Amino acid sequence: MTGIRRAMIVLRAFWQLNWLEELQYRGNFIASLLGTVFWLLMAMLTVALYFRHTPRLGGWEYWDVVVLLGIFNALAGVVETVLRPGIGHLPTDVRSGALDLVLVRPVDAQFYVSFRRLDVWRLADVVLGLALSGYAFAQSGRTVSAWALIAFAVTFAVAIAVVYAIWVTLMSLAFWFVAVENMSALFDAVFEAARYPVSAYPGALRFLFVYLIPIAWTTTIPASALTGRLNPSLALWAMGVGIVALGASRLLWRVALKRYTSAGG
Amino acid sequence: MSRVATRSAFATFRDQYAELMRSAFLIDLQYRASIAIWLLWGITEPIISLGIWWSIAAGGAVDGYTREDFARYFFGVALVNQATLSWDAWNIDRWIREGEMNFRLTRPIAPIHEAIADNIAYKAPTAVIILTAWIGAATFWPAVRIPFEPGRWALAIIAIVLAAAIRFLNGYATGLLAFWTTRATALVELQFGLSLFLSGRIAPLSLLPPQVVRAAEYLWFPYVLSFPVEVLTGTVTTGGQYARGFGGQAIWLAIWLLLYLLVWTRGRRRYGAVGG
Repeated sequence: MTGIRRAMIVLRAFWQLNWLEELQYRGNFIASLLGTVFWLLMAMLTVALYFRHTPRLGGWEYWDVVVLLGIFNALAGVVETVLRPGIGHLPTDVRSGALDLVLVRPVDAQFYVSFRRLDVWRLADVVLGLALSGYAFAQSGRTVSAWALIAFAVTFAVAIAVVYAIWVTLMSLAFWFVAVENMSALFDAVFEAARYPVSAYPGALRFLFVYLIPIAWTTTIPASALTGRLNPSLALWAMGVGIVALGASRLLWRVALKRYTSAGG
Repeated sequence: MSRVATRSAFATFRDQYAELMRSAFLIDLQYRASIAIWLLWGITEPIISLGIWWSIAAGGAVDGYTREDFARYFFGVALVNQATLSWDAWNIDRWIREGEMNFRLTRPIAPIHEAIADNIAYKAPTAVIILTAWIGAATFWPAVRIPFEPGRWALAIIAIVLAAAIRFLNGYATGLLAFWTTRATALVELQFGLSLFLSGRIAPLSLLPPQVVRAAEYLWFPYVLSFPVEVLTGTVTTGGQYARGFGGQAIWLAIWLLLYLLVWTRGRRRYGAVGG
């Protein structure tokens, strides 16, 4: 497994450099923290507004929806920390030809492109999100079980895999549509829908979020694991979805990369 | 006497505008796919809100809003939001940070006119696209049909244009704070967050707690989205409601115009170019 070991060494070196660089911008940390707290507040007020007019949202009680909201925020934090600064830059690299410099390196291109940069301050979003989930869980009056925690850990990992696969898929499209610079806006738009349990949507949208753009698997399923709504077979399905999504996106990446002919020159 | 000499200042100004709009439109045409994505990005928020309210209203009307009312309301939000979007603060931020403001300052026409032309060239065609989609949807989905009242539609168009002007000046003036701070766009985002509720993006204003609505009416937020939408969908009916709505729009248009002029004249004096 020297390939993986070498990759880890490369990664450590990148992140160390990255960390030293970010330390110079500590003011950004406060700003990003304030921003996260503000948007979390807006999100909670939105949920509170819905609950002024209904006792349940798609069969979920108030605090259960807040548990889900925390998970949404944690996943959004993963996107901001790793995906946007990393693979989110792919369309620019493809257009400018900077991808050349990636392809000549002795590490896997997808791996390098995906994890080359960390916006470390945004890790606070992950921490705040999970803290909110924990708080809401306590408020909901449920008791925690080992099975629920394990199921949550597994399905949360699946959620990260699915989100990552969606980003790889979207960004790979940059090889075909070179002029499209705002591919990530497409993700931002649709991912907003994952703020609420998928059962809160009408049938057509639900179908869309479960099967076509699989964001239902990113927040609803881990939140279901915590709030006792997940049966073992659904957990297995989720793992299947995660593996298939990763595999399919890897396949698309390889097909897409073959189209790359560099720029300029 | 040559023709050039008799040209009025107005004619020159009009031609400059036409040229700015033409070039902005041609640039947009180059980025058709990107614009399609921004359009999609713009309509997902109202679609999500509609989806949630549609489910909540399954058991009957919510404070007088039936499912069909929600559908019309959020179709209206999608249209008016597209026509009144404001992104200029991010441009200004970049112009000032990277020195692109410099050549704009040397032009015989203030940079705001380029932004206005840019806005018109983008919003007019994309709003028509949303309107066409709405008409298409209305042919097979009766819920989103709005009554045929040309007089009301004309008033709605005026309200939308005024809303676009207020939101534009609001975003532009806030963006110009970049002359003083590097976090001007954060102030725009703050307003964007508040507008979720105060402008009626997430729900019709009448579903909010009454104290919040009363507070909102002292600000510009309801007049840039909620009011034009409710004129369009027929929620605004009495003369008093019209007067309050258009009156609020007139006042806030004047306030933001003055604030823009203030920030622009002060900021320009303060500006020290980047680079070179």
